Amino acid sequence: MKTRIGVITVLLAIALPAAATAAPPAPQDRFRLKAGARGKLCLSCHATFQDTVSRPFVHTPVKAGDCTDCHDPHASSHGKLLAAGAATICSSCHAGLVPEKARSVHAPVLAGECIRCHDPHASRNKSNLIAAGNDLCTGCHAEMAKTISQVKFRHAPVAGSCLGCHDPHASGKSEFLLKKEVPALCNDCHRADQPVFAKQHMNYPVAKGRCTSCHDPHGSNNAGILWATIHPPVADKMCSQCHQEASSPAALAVKKPGFELCRGCHSAMVNETLARSRVHWPVLDKAGCQNCHSPHASARNALLKEPAGLLCGTCHADTIARQEKSLTKHAPVHDGNCAACHFPHASDSVFLLKEPNVVGLCGTCHNWKEHSNHPVGEKAVDPRNRNLSLDCLSCHRSHGSPFKSFATFDTGADLCVQCHQDVRR
Amino acid sequence: MLKALRGHCGALLLLALGATHAAEGVKLRPLPAIYTDDRGSGLKQPEGVAFDGKSLLAVADTGNRRLLKYTIAGDQATPAGEIRLAEIPYPIRVQFGPGGELFALDGRSRRIARISPAGEFKGYVEPSGDIQAGPLMPRSFAIERAGSIYVLDVFRARVLVLDPSGRTGRTIAYPGNQGFLSDLAVDERGTVFAVDSVGRRVFVAGKPDAALVPLTGDLRADLAFPTAVAVDGQGRIFLADQNGDGIVILGQDGSFQGRQAGTGWKEGSLRYPSGLCAGPSGTILVADRENGRVQMFAVSE
Repeated sequence: MKTRIGVITVLLAIALPAAATAAPPAPQDRFRLKAGARGKLCLSCHATFQDTVSRPFVHTPVKAGDCTDCHDPHASSHGKLLAAGAATICSSCHAGLVPEKARSVHAPVLAGECIRCHDPHASRNKSNLIAAGNDLCTGCHAEMAKTISQVKFRHAPVAGSCLGCHDPHASGKSEFLLKKEVPALCNDCHRADQPVFAKQHMNYPVAKGRCTSCHDPHGSNNAGILWATIHPPVADKMCSQCHQEASSPAALAVKKPGFELCRGCHSAMVNETLARSRVHWPVLDKAGCQNCHSPHASARNALLKEPAGLLCGTCHADTIARQEKSLTKHAPVHDGNCAACHFPHASDSVFLLKEPNVVGLCGTCHNWKEHSNHPVGEKAVDPRNRNLSLDCLSCHRSHGSPFKSFATFDTGADLCVQCHQDVRR
Repeated sequence: MLKALRGHCGALLLLALGATHAAEGVKLRPLPAIYTDDRGSGLKQPEGVAFDGKSLLAVADTGNRRLLKYTIAGDQATPAGEIRLAEIPYPIRVQFGPGGELFALDGRSRRIARISPAGEFKGYVEPSGDIQAGPLMPRSFAIERAGSIYVLDVFRARVLVLDPSGRTGRTIAYPGNQGFLSDLAVDERGTVFAVDSVGRRVFVAGKPDAALVPLTGDLRADLAFPTAVAVDGQGRIFLADQNGDGIVILGQDGSFQGRQAGTGWKEGSLRYPSGLCAGPSGTILVADRENGRVQMFAVSE
């Protein structure tokens, strides 16, 4: 017995390294296919497929008749008898499309949905794309396509090809799948050392600036493809209203820090903000107004950096997450209309509420008397705590909860008995 | 071989879990909460609390625009007076100085006021010395046992360290990768702890350090939006999770020690806790803002 184990061990010791170094058998070898029993055999049943493979651009394994490179002819756990999941089968040959430290990845690539853009068998378009040129991109990015087609001032490369600036798979160099970081990408076409460039930018050294802080790279209705909403000093080319003089060594530095800079023009608003008991603290920090507003131009009203819900969510991610998990959605939160209830700059009320009285605030949308005859208001003392009066937040959590009608507790068992202990079962 | 591998995997798993939740051993037991002043008038949205290390508790009764004092004996608080000053119309933070002076940060003027032990306004803290010009925007402040005042100046992104007269001794720079720092605390050795509401982290700077550095990573699993920090005599760090209605306890090294309380009206539960401090003999005091009370907890391992 001991001898047999020894022999097996020796054989294994010889066999294992050999197996480790040997190349895995090709799929057609794995299935021990007879001569001629490859792609042609498949076509004997899949007859209509002949038209597909007659297209000018054929996927290499299809051309070679190696259907079993991707499909298992007998059975599979994946759709279309694929030999592996859709998310992994393409990358088994096409590895390396996503850089190791990618800064942005195209959503279909991330989801392994290569067939959103590529026909896995054959196509009339190069790279087996299912549509040619920008038509492929606008199939998903329809809103962008609509905007581009309607703008008064167009950016020439956009009409050419999206791939002039974007990598369709991923970018290791920039966000938004850009082939290079801004401004290097822009400087490929726009020579910052030309006198006309300097003149257009009032001789400010913007060559190393972020061009997209003023310009919409996809085109605009404003000359110079400036974003839809332009800060008046920018529109009036009065950069020195905020920045040091163009000839100074620190020309791009601003004249004052934080909100102090904006106060020069927006003094009434800033003074009104500072006079409140509760200021939204980021207004007062180093970035000040620029925490939320773009100082040059923006696609949105009030020069907001992002749509309101997204913008608020950059700091208040917990609140946004609560709404996302909530069984019942509260429309203003769900729609990102935070300013329906909150002042963004300052208020005399907690939570920066627009009304000091919660019942009054909720009443701007909800007709309380139609809702219920439950007592609320400053005279309705909360039986749980005499320092509190009953209001909408006595039962509801306005940004969401796991319970129906964003109740604070389960409406069936726990909510009412918080106060009405006599009916607790 | 397999057994050995399993052993290693098991050990690694234990280490990994242990790294995030080393010991959830610290518990908070609710003690009677404080609801009223000496006339039986209720608290309204209190945001700040401070304990003088002996028996005096000060409360920033923000919604009522006043400060309140209590003496604490055991787990009982007895009202010890009200301070209502025109110079502090909206107190949001309160601290004791070493000589029994009170300091209060006013939310409306965003200035730190000095108040004598008798309750008289003694002027604002006006930093002097080698500081950059421009407005001072204190989000919070803390006072070291020796009397140095640590001001969290959000406008200049720094902690200003002032001597008791208000002269600037040094500045501690922000870490640079913070979200928004809302509060700070100073322990007995002069170590500064600052809490990042957005990044859900704690930063630390030792007495000689010029900048805050991370003590913890992102504590998103245990914190929603922390806005207050306190340190007790044993070096434990307490965080008030304002939007999460909880108290998170960390060890001196930033290790997770537990999460306590939760949303509710009953004593021991919280609604938007906004401030906290270490109280007498193993207790902490929490300004339970939306419940209009100060909740005392006994801390136990």
